Amino acid sequence: MNKGRVKELLKKKILILDGATGTELQKRGMPAGVCPERWCTENPEVITAVQRGYREAGADMVYTCTFGGNRLKLSEYGITDVKEINRKLTVLSRQAVGTGVLVAGDIGPTGRFVEPFGDLPFEEAVAIFKEQVAGLVAGGVDLFVIETMMDIQEARAALLAIKETGDYFTIVTMTYEPDGRTLNGTDPVTALITLQSLGADAVGCNCSAGPEAMMEWIGAMKPYATVPLAAKPNAGIPRLVGKTTTFDMDARAFGAFSKPFAAVGVNFLGGCCGTTPDHIGALKRALEVTPPIPPRRKSLAALSSARGHVILDRDKPLFVIGERINPTGKKALQQELREGKTSLVRQMSREQEDQGADLLDVNVGVPGIDEPLAMKSLLRALAGTTGLPLVIDSPKVDTIEAALRLYPGRALLNSISGEREKMEKLLPLAARYGAMFILLPLLDGEIPETAVGRSRVVRDVYRAARRHGFTKEDIIVDGLVMTVAANPDAPIETLKTVSWCSRSFGCRTVLGVSNVSFGMPERKWLNAAFLTMAQAAGLTVAIVNPANLELTAMKKASDVFLGKDQGAAIYIESFRDGEKTEKKPAGGAPLTPSEQVNQAILAGNRDDIVGLIAGLLKSDAGLSAARIVEEFMIPAILKVGELYEQKTYFLPQLIASAEAMKKGLDHLEPLLRAAKSRGTSKGVILLATVQGDIHDIGKNIVALMLRNYGYEVIDLGKDVATKTVIEHMKKFKPDVVGLSALMTTTMIAMKDVMELARREGLKTPFILGGAVVTDAYATSLGAAYARDGVEAVRVLEKLLKNLMTSCHHKGK
Amino acid sequence: MTPLFFESIPVTLPRPAIYRRLGYRKESTRISPGQRQEVEGYIADAVAMLQLKGSSLRLPIEVEGSALISLPEGNAFVSRKLARFLKDAREIILMGATAGTTIMEAIQADIGGRNVTRGVVLDATASEVVDAGLDWIMGYFRQSLRREGKTLLNSRFSSGYGDFALENQRLIHRLLQMDSFNVTITESCLLVPEKSVTAVTGIITSV
Repeated sequence: MNKGRVKELLKKKILILDGATGTELQKRGMPAGVCPERWCTENPEVITAVQRGYREAGADMVYTCTFGGNRLKLSEYGITDVKEINRKLTVLSRQAVGTGVLVAGDIGPTGRFVEPFGDLPFEEAVAIFKEQVAGLVAGGVDLFVIETMMDIQEARAALLAIKETGDYFTIVTMTYEPDGRTLNGTDPVTALITLQSLGADAVGCNCSAGPEAMMEWIGAMKPYATVPLAAKPNAGIPRLVGKTTTFDMDARAFGAFSKPFAAVGVNFLGGCCGTTPDHIGALKRALEVTPPIPPRRKSLAALSSARGHVILDRDKPLFVIGERINPTGKKALQQELREGKTSLVRQMSREQEDQGADLLDVNVGVPGIDEPLAMKSLLRALAGTTGLPLVIDSPKVDTIEAALRLYPGRALLNSISGEREKMEKLLPLAARYGAMFILLPLLDGEIPETAVGRSRVVRDVYRAARRHGFTKEDIIVDGLVMTVAANPDAPIETLKTVSWCSRSFGCRTVLGVSNVSFGMPERKWLNAAFLTMAQAAGLTVAIVNPANLELTAMKKASDVFLGKDQGAAIYIESFRDGEKTEKKPAGGAPLTPSEQVNQAILAGNRDDIVGLIAGLLKSDAGLSAARIVEEFMIPAILKVGELYEQKTYFLPQLIASAEAMKKGLDHLEPLLRAAKSRGTSKGVILLATVQGDIHDIGKNIVALMLRNYGYEVIDLGKDVATKTVIEHMKKFKPDVVGLSALMTTTMIAMKDVMELARREGLKTPFILGGAVVTDAYATSLGAAYARDGVEAVRVLEKLLKNLMTSCHHKGK
Repeated sequence: MTPLFFESIPVTLPRPAIYRRLGYRKESTRISPGQRQEVEGYIADAVAMLQLKGSSLRLPIEVEGSALISLPEGNAFVSRKLARFLKDAREIILMGATAGTTIMEAIQADIGGRNVTRGVVLDATASEVVDAGLDWIMGYFRQSLRREGKTLLNSRFSSGYGDFALENQRLIHRLLQMDSFNVTITESCLLVPEKSVTAVTGIITSV
């Protein structure tokens, strides 16, 4: 079966796919929990009857009953001959439908997640699918369908397995959650970009949703599709009634969606769970004379990651490639790459994304490291960190190949030049994995100085690229930025190159902008001016550091003037906050230095508190450290406690204020000591998280609060042995002991501590806290209880007051 | 009995849950734009540090009597409440997830005095994200079970709840091979790094 037959059919009509197999088999006696593939080989009359039913209903294609026919799934039932069972089931399908109906070799998920999302190595996944593909080919399938995929990487592995076996028409359908994303976070357009560029002949969706939602997804994909689109919706949204999953949509209602589906551009339409031959018959009747809408594009300039995409529309604002993930001149990053760590890379990716990058350049060029390995490690780390598509930046063919094979999206390769030997290696590589590439107009050992020379190289490389199926949509020409310090004409030639690409040749362009100012003073102005000129010349993409405020501001301004920022919406959104100044209320008097200290604590302003206190000490008010604390800081922190209890403040505000207070107190400490007014604390508190418990965040917050209120805190840490608490009680004679525990299993240790203390004759009061500890539990042990840091302060004050009263009475 | 490993669980950031955990109440809490920006910045820091991984294992069970849940290879859980929870199930899913060590190290350093405000935000973010990780694993199974005519129970049960003793976490940790993604268990059956969780849910036949 060649691809041509399917393609010819698609020109004439919307092809009708079959309906559900699993639910039909269950209706006809297949018990729950069996292996459907084996059951069908043992009950061939049942599967052939189901498939004949679909043929008779009008299906142009049936799927082999091999959804779980891969080694991993079959091994759960002890089946090892993968090829044979796939072959047999294909033969049964052919027997059922004959040659007039297409038989698609059905490939479903393995049930394991593929790297970088799971532990199944990518190459192992490809090998597993190849084994199944071999069986399906042996049985004589006409084409393949990879379906119900929730992991784009697994879909890629299956597609590569087919492509590396032979030239078969392949449909890939993903399954989306109600929010329009796969469980792994891939949306339909992103999946489309990745799969069609990798060589899928049709892309679409199946299962998990009814026709209404699926129609929306097909509609979203159609404008960007270079391939036909497929849909296999369920018979409505599955509903669990008691223990029964029901699908409410009958054949007539299902069939009513046929025309709307055709209108949004579906090219293959069938049914998934809950559908029957009647549902398929309804589709057939409705679509008999409806012409298909072919794909609207031949190619698409777009890039994708596993969870996002960028369509490089030339009418859109300038796109930015974040350049920071490059170890050149960055010692910390070099070190990290050498050690195989990725936290800095993840941080850089997150920061650049926040700063507005559209794509991230990834370069691992550190002397002496295993580059392919480092690149794969970065791709794994970034797959879970960013939704931005990546630019694979390496001069090494093996690094590029490793990256393109593993990358779970459509990457931009940086770069392919006119250097003959590398071009011959890299063009087929980029074509195999469907990557876009940056075309660098330089030849072996020579950088053409003029735009004319560069355009000649662009034409040559493009001519070679076309032989591998590339179009102008797949390339971005680098205008080659040279420093003005070395050659005053260089920037003009670069701009001419950009202009020629944009206006004559008709392709996108990219520049590494900052090279233009190398060796010059105040580089930012040169960079900004050059960027705006390049934008005016038609530049599509700039490689810059998105943290560079001058460049990003100029870019946004130029986008407005070039009509690429409709209604200046992006510009206004970006700079709206910049126009807001910290205005005082009209007529309001400015705050006094003491009020500023008070306000800094209320607002949790840790950056300014020390400066404000220093200013207050130096001011004419002549305030002592003790007065500043008593009159302005303590009232502020008391107010914060109140606001927290009223839930006007939430925890970060409470803690920020406590930290501001602590910073202020630390600054005043020498003065307070000198004045001896803080030499005696309000009391000594011993704190510990009990034995066996390692959760001490709450206890640490309590310690911070208590110190701010003038208590001396001895913090023993977490997982503190009972006897250690007792030893410290004896040694330091605290006024109160505070114990914390998070778990029900560890809070019993509180009782142990208290009982041992009593046996040792220690009468110190205890205060307990922690997620599972309740007032009732504390009371049952004879201890006080505090829900949080604020309450702990109040309870302690009460406890100490009672203690003093009791001592006073005893003293009497 | 090889678990299914998830190297990078892509959860959507559960922002409302993070704010709720930090004590934010829509009707009463007031945050200045600067404070919100600070909290959002810390949440972004947390996201950059999170390495949400997990594993799961599908196992047949037999509920015997009122409290015994027998697992393959002679393993068992004893809990009346869990047995009641699993009364309609013939299979279970064990699941575990961790936020990783990087974020836990940052939380410890921040709470220890470096930046306590950031520490509490990182802590809340990690807690909620790791919980969302278990939601994601359940979502994965719901989808893959649909074709088998099965589904999951709506909720999950963790050791330490009711009479399902925390000690059971040791068996769950072992079966899920959580050591392989650097989650260890202490003598008192707590998971390390701290932002790691396990749970059990049941599979029911839905046809």
